[in-house]
Amino acid sequence: MECRELREIISLSLDGEASPEEAGLILNHIEGCAGCRAFERKMRAIGTGVAKTEGAVPPDFREKLFALMEAEDLLPRRRSLFAFSIRWAAVPLAAAAALVLFLVSSPEKSKDAVSTQERLPAVARTGPAAETMQPSSPPLSGSPGSPLADDPRRETASAARAGAELTPEERDIIAHLDILEDPSALDAPGDIDEMDIFEPPHRRQG
Amino acid sequence: MRTDEELIELYRKGSRDAFEELFARYHRKVIHFAYRMTGDQARAEEAAQETFLRIARAAFTWEPKARFTTWMYTVARRTTLNFLRDDKDDRDKVPILPGEETDDGSPAIQLPGPAALNPEEMAWGAEIQERFVAALQKLPEGYRSAFVLNRGDGLSYEEVAAVLGITVQAVKSRIFRAREMLLESLSELLQ
Repeated sequence: MECRELREIISLSLDGEASPEEAGLILNHIEGCAGCRAFERKMRAIGTGVAKTEGAVPPDFREKLFALMEAEDLLPRRRSLFAFSIRWAAVPLAAAAALVLFLVSSPEKSKDAVSTQERLPAVARTGPAAETMQPSSPPLSGSPGSPLADDPRRETASAARAGAELTPEERDIIAHLDILEDPSALDAPGDIDEMDIFEPPHRRQG
Repeated sequence: MRTDEELIELYRKGSRDAFEELFARYHRKVIHFAYRMTGDQARAEEAAQETFLRIARAAFTWEPKARFTTWMYTVARRTTLNFLRDDKDDRDKVPILPGEETDDGSPAIQLPGPAALNPEEMAWGAEIQERFVAALQKLPEGYRSAFVLNRGDGLSYEEVAAVLGITVQAVKSRIFRAREMLLESLSELLQ
């Protein structure tokens, strides 16, 4: 084979693209051909030289590129460590805050229950027995002429318990009896205003 | 270790880390390729930056019919071609080192000695690299890209053919022609 024909195959062999038969052909030829041997060496050197030809990588290349990408919304921005920490701490912090609020408000609820009891009129707190002991005090609900005052069930219950100690639950029920009554009945003409219950007897009119 | 294709898919789903990993793997290769193709450091940086921007923009519509590196080098080649077209008037100019012109105007460098040098053994210096860069710029773009992708970036003939959109036989021919032209340009450097 002519040297000129072999040079293209030498080029293939340098890139690992020659077949085993072609590689053997070259090996046999260059052993006896100084020209092709020199050609093969120069070709190999050129390939090495090009591989060594490299551009410099600027130290800020990455930062510049990523800044451009972030500006185009091509790259999600990195969150700061602070924001990252806050995000992950938000849930447990919120849970802790809720617990604290619950604990703080719990004693308030019991206090409210007590204060509510205390705010009840004396009549509600002491029950029907107290009413009978205070003849000047008006009935719990309504005036003598009102349907409520004439309720036989109430009179019977009052008489039956005249000498008995009332439980807190009973007192609570009595205190809220007026709520269970028909509101329109409370507005009957001539009725004493509910708020008059709290006024001293000497101030009442009619 | 995730493949390049897996990383691109993760990037599509919003993973910044995936893109950073791809960048870490290939940014040097892209810069070296751009430098070999343009022969200019500043243009190589611009071309490499633009290459990654184009990859990021196209990532969401890219269909993985080929390897990621094939696509990456295709984008890199087209990007550097744009830069070369912008410098079309300067493309035939050979970079001349100041104060080192010969009588006939051709560039010359100070060689270590009168004997011819073997690039595989000589100390690789800035002047030697400049000669190789200049010789590469003398090649037609088609020869240059084929030779650089194969010898510079290690792509096989088949991969080079995919990047350039030509046959393997055409790749063989272009690389051989590139070698012959470089041999002629660098003959004084080579033993």
